[in-house]
Amino acid sequence: MRVRSRWALILCAVFLVLSLTSCAAPSARTSGVTLTIMGKKSDMEKSYMRCVFDRYREKTGNELKLVEFEDAEFEEKASRAFSEGSAPDILMHFHNADLNRFDVSANFLPLNDQPWMEDLTDSALAYCLSADGDLLGLPFWESSVSGCYYNKTLLDGLGLKPAATQAEFDMLCQALMSIGMTPICWPQNGCTWMYQFPLDPLFADDPERLEQLNGGQISYADIPEVVDMARWIQSAAKNGWFGEDYMNTGWSDIGEKLGSGEAVMTFIWDTWFYTDFEGGKYTKEDFALMPVFLNTVDGGTYEGGNLNMMLVNRNGEQVDKALEFLSFCAEPENYNAAFDGISTVSCFRGQTTNIQSQMVQDAAASIAEKERVSTAASRIVGYSADDVAAAFDSLLRGEIDAEGCVARMDEYRELDAHKQGT
Amino acid sequence: MKKWISRSLVWIVVAAVCLAAAVLGFLYDDFISERIYEDSTRHLSEIYSQVNRAFGSFVERNWGMLRSWGESLPQSADPEKFLKDEQEYWDFSGFYFLSFSGQSMTPDGQMGAFDPGSDWEPLQRGEPIMVGEKLASGEDVTVFVAPVPAGEYEGFSYDAIAVSYNNADLAASLNVDAFAGDARCFVIHSDGRVLLSTQTGGSVFADYLLYLKAASDLSQTELAELQAGWQAGKTDIVRCRIGNVDHCLLYQPVGFQDLVLLSVVPQSAVSAGFLSVQKITVGVFLAIFLMLGLTAAALLVQSSRRQLRKNRRELHYRDLMFNALSSSVDDIFLMLDIDAPRMDYISDNVERLLGIPAQAVREDVRVMEKCAINGDVFIPKEELQSIPMNGSIYRVCEYRHQTTGERRWYRMTVYHVGVGEENKYVVVMSDRTQERQMTQNLQEALDAARSANEAKSNFLSNMSHDIRTPMNAIVGFSTLLEKDADEPDKVREYTRKITASSQHLLSLINDVLDMSKIESGKTSLNVERFSLPELLEGLNIIIAPQARAKGQIFTMHVQGAPPEGILGDRLRLNQILINLLSNAVKYTPACGRIEFTVSQLPQPAPQYAKLRFEVRDNGIGMSEEFQQKVFAPFSREINSVTNKIQGTGLGMAITKNLVDLMGGIISVESEPGKGSVFTVELSFALPEEETADAWFRQKVNRILVADDEEDICLGIQEMMRGTGVEVAFATSGEEAVEKAVAAHRADEEFDVILLDWKMPGVDGVEAARRIRARVGGHVPILVLTSYDWTEIEKQAREAGIDAFMPKPFFTSTFWQAIRPLFADAPSQEKQTPAPEESPLKGRLFLVAEDNELNAEILTEMMDIEGAHCELAVNGRQAVDMFLEAEPDRYDMILMDVQMPIMNGYEATRAIRASSHPRAATIPIVAMTANTFAEDVRVSMDSGMNGHLAKPIDMDAVRKTLARLLKESEAEQG
Repeated sequence: MRVRSRWALILCAVFLVLSLTSCAAPSARTSGVTLTIMGKKSDMEKSYMRCVFDRYREKTGNELKLVEFEDAEFEEKASRAFSEGSAPDILMHFHNADLNRFDVSANFLPLNDQPWMEDLTDSALAYCLSADGDLLGLPFWESSVSGCYYNKTLLDGLGLKPAATQAEFDMLCQALMSIGMTPICWPQNGCTWMYQFPLDPLFADDPERLEQLNGGQISYADIPEVVDMARWIQSAAKNGWFGEDYMNTGWSDIGEKLGSGEAVMTFIWDTWFYTDFEGGKYTKEDFALMPVFLNTVDGGTYEGGNLNMMLVNRNGEQVDKALEFLSFCAEPENYNAAFDGISTVSCFRGQTTNIQSQMVQDAAASIAEKERVSTAASRIVGYSADDVAAAFDSLLRGEIDAEGCVARMDEYRELDAHKQGT
Repeated sequence: MKKWISRSLVWIVVAAVCLAAAVLGFLYDDFISERIYEDSTRHLSEIYSQVNRAFGSFVERNWGMLRSWGESLPQSADPEKFLKDEQEYWDFSGFYFLSFSGQSMTPDGQMGAFDPGSDWEPLQRGEPIMVGEKLASGEDVTVFVAPVPAGEYEGFSYDAIAVSYNNADLAASLNVDAFAGDARCFVIHSDGRVLLSTQTGGSVFADYLLYLKAASDLSQTELAELQAGWQAGKTDIVRCRIGNVDHCLLYQPVGFQDLVLLSVVPQSAVSAGFLSVQKITVGVFLAIFLMLGLTAAALLVQSSRRQLRKNRRELHYRDLMFNALSSSVDDIFLMLDIDAPRMDYISDNVERLLGIPAQAVREDVRVMEKCAINGDVFIPKEELQSIPMNGSIYRVCEYRHQTTGERRWYRMTVYHVGVGEENKYVVVMSDRTQERQMTQNLQEALDAARSANEAKSNFLSNMSHDIRTPMNAIVGFSTLLEKDADEPDKVREYTRKITASSQHLLSLINDVLDMSKIESGKTSLNVERFSLPELLEGLNIIIAPQARAKGQIFTMHVQGAPPEGILGDRLRLNQILINLLSNAVKYTPACGRIEFTVSQLPQPAPQYAKLRFEVRDNGIGMSEEFQQKVFAPFSREINSVTNKIQGTGLGMAITKNLVDLMGGIISVESEPGKGSVFTVELSFALPEEETADAWFRQKVNRILVADDEEDICLGIQEMMRGTGVEVAFATSGEEAVEKAVAAHRADEEFDVILLDWKMPGVDGVEAARRIRARVGGHVPILVLTSYDWTEIEKQAREAGIDAFMPKPFFTSTFWQAIRPLFADAPSQEKQTPAPEESPLKGRLFLVAEDNELNAEILTEMMDIEGAHCELAVNGRQAVDMFLEAEPDRYDMILMDVQMPIMNGYEATRAIRASSHPRAATIPIVAMTANTFAEDVRVSMDSGMNGHLAKPIDMDAVRKTLARLLKESEAEQG
């Protein structure tokens, strides 16, 4: 354990040195322009963000004024800044429901004509498009692929293969149960992300449905796949596919269960293996990636990363300069410098210096076919991962049935949407 | 014990039957299961042999097809169209040209790699092969490859051609619907690698041998044997457990390469059909067994219920009976449990018998103590605990009914009994009130009988003495009479004493008979109008001389204004008062005082008068004890004084009975040595009131009364109020004289002057003399006295007194006394009556008398009267004599009643029924010692005309016979 920690420290140090080295700018010019960028403090402090900010300062001589808020107060203060006339030139924000706090069309400039748009990967572009098809901002963020990560070593030893369809996944779970293993590590205690994965294809593949849902024409209950998902999760829990103590399994337990081989699969993202998974009997090398099967689409799905975008204040005094800053960031030289050695899925087609996990690389063809933009969490008005998890909590405790769970999801969502003023 | 053994035996038999059935069932199930398994596996083998054959045909067909195409393709003008047509027809998913160099090309020109691995060798040898591939899309396909003559297509040199099928499609063709869809079927290589699966989702199995190693209970050896079987191309069935489910693994060689058709079927699915038969069979057996069991159980239950119902009915009936019994009887039942402690049972009749609700006793037995007369604890716990098991105690308790206050006696018996293992105390409170009262009554009756017996003994003793005494005198003086017959003085003396003794003896007999008659309830009252003053006068006549003879002072008083004429039995009232007065005289010593007072009590009704007769003496008195039984028959106080006094002890008893008979009350107050007061209160009906006009007609309007006792004067004034006569009175002789003179002077002369004889100072006689002297002789003057006036009669008449009248004063006696004084003619009373001839003189009587002595006495007496008698010694003779006599021979028949041969009643009836001309008219008079009224009635009923009592009273005989003779003669005309 000590040896492993020591290696981790050494690796981090190497990455830091490389990053700093790559971010070193050859020269510095000052033009007297100062752009204001507003964002979460924790986001601003990301190394790749600092790198690109520094490069910009050095290469253009312009100044960047970073307006940073603590995470908890960011949405409130940022939206107030726009309403009170103290809006920045550039806002850093994820494409999620909170963006609706800002009057997007009134405050932000569509970026459809920007030359760097072509360089964006499909998934990154899809993430940044508005419902109207406008490019809202420049994605500049690290991301990962969420899917079903399974212990390949273990499956091989058992004479089993990963599933390519929902039926195969069910069979796989059944076969693992026959052997006496817990097929899926399901962290019901405090973890909420599992529920958004299967919802993504329902709305990413059918934007009209998303529009109807957000417009109030339909509800979750009107979408058969949502009910199917609830029924499957309830059934899987009853079959024992989540193990016995899934209601108490939380974030900190996932690594142990997977590392020990107690559980064979879990729904998570690849970077988790690099940031949180300490391993055990099995290490991240033993794991591979297959789609998430939660009975919404037969072939399964992957969820693309949630990306922080840089949005241009169309009402700002330095719109051009802001666009120039975005173009600066979208230059391969700059983004490769910024993401050099960062483990992430690429946002740009020309992105070459970032590191991609073997798991993602091995599943690249499948990911390319089945990956969906993170749609549920970011595009559904009133979506709250906690609320959905709460509804399923009641379902898994036997307090309500699948239909009741879906009804509760609707109820919570409507409440949240009402709070958000939409 | 027997019952327990019997029950145990039944249970043992039932258990043995069940055990035998279970063992048989188990053996049968085991046998059947084995048979079923064999049949099932045979069935399974047959099914998958067919699948295998179908798959083999499919493979053969594809290989044959490929070989055919290998020859025809090069000649085809449009190979692509050819292949497209074939694909549509055969439904394969892809077609490939392959080169032994490892390249592939589709008809549309897409290039790819081809690596069949270990199957290269057979392929290059010219054998067709079958391999599994995973497409880039993740889709699993099975590729059939056949070496063909080398050829070229679109510049690509090929050595073999191939078609691929989507595994899902293949699986559909191989899937077996049998076994409820639970069967899996794989085409695997002999090393375990899965070529294809027939089951949806089955593609996740990559190596089934590895999977079995992990998932099944097969050991390494068994797995090795299994793989060896696969490699050897064997067909077999292996049973193993996968997960928690028993499975059958059926494997058989496909016939190509090292491929094996592996079927994995849950054992339950394999035997499902047969098991259902088995289940049905077992079910039928079980059902039969169950039905038999249920029938037996139902019969048992029914029987038990019937028995239970019967028991309940009996119990209920017993309860009802017991409740009815306990409610009907006067016994209270309780059951106590002192360990609990509680009241287990209390009969409902406790409320009826003791006035306590049963529920109250159930709640707290101590409420019973409220009823206890002496307030004792109901039953002390210590007393209960002292009773041995099956022992009992009893005691008698007295309780008071809480509602009615009635006292009841109970015999309380407590039994210590065991009910199961519990100690119980049964208390039976048996009502003995009736017995107790009966015992008391019996005791009282016994005491009374003893007392009566004692009294009778005393009576007999007394009677012996009392009868012997006069009898002794009669016998003695009769002897002396015979001896001194020649001495007339002695004869007269002896005769007088014999007569006196006879009279005394007769009175004794009369008393005894009277008492006997009263006690037998044969006494009846003869109610008639009579005069109270006459009754009192008669009493005075009888008692006054007796008292005077003993030197006693006898006074008679009348208080208030009692009516003079009343309706009642004069004789019985007279008898009562004579008894009381005679006793007073008898038990009052010389110089004693006897007061007889008659007073009128408030009238209960206008037509009734209530009188009180009080006899007060200052004689010897009676003890308190004797006062309690003074009215009991044959009772006489024993003391030195009474012992010397003759008496039967029946007088007061007769008196009491007569008073009772007349509806009155008699009481006594007495103190030894101080005297006694007997009080009799009687009610009498009043006759219609007589008019007062007589006084006016006699011109008696104003009288003067003189008596030193003012009360007497006021009494006379009161009694005369209804007559319209004015009464003036004086309380001394002098005053009387003054008032008479004053009236004379005022010309308001008194019509009558009534003077008491004995007044202090100027007495009645002297006052009369003075009045005559100063007023004259025209005013009638009477002297009122309770004394015998004969001694002063001469002196009084000389003084001018016209008449005497006895005390007490009554208007009737006063009227009778003054009537002669106002008559024009001289009073008859003043005329000396002439000697009267006997009405019997010259009459002939037929006398029926069986007693010669009585007959002789009667004959002699009738001779004295101048009558004659003819004697018959019995009734028959009397009848005969009458029938033989001339019609006018006998004037009357005197018939004794008790006679031999024919008694008097029968003889009378015979005479009346005879044809004698005087049969109906001749007077027949009973002369008998049967003197009761009933005897008289019977005599009259038999046809007699009169009744005379023995011994013969010639006055009564004379009067009765004279009346009857007169009536008879009147009838005869």
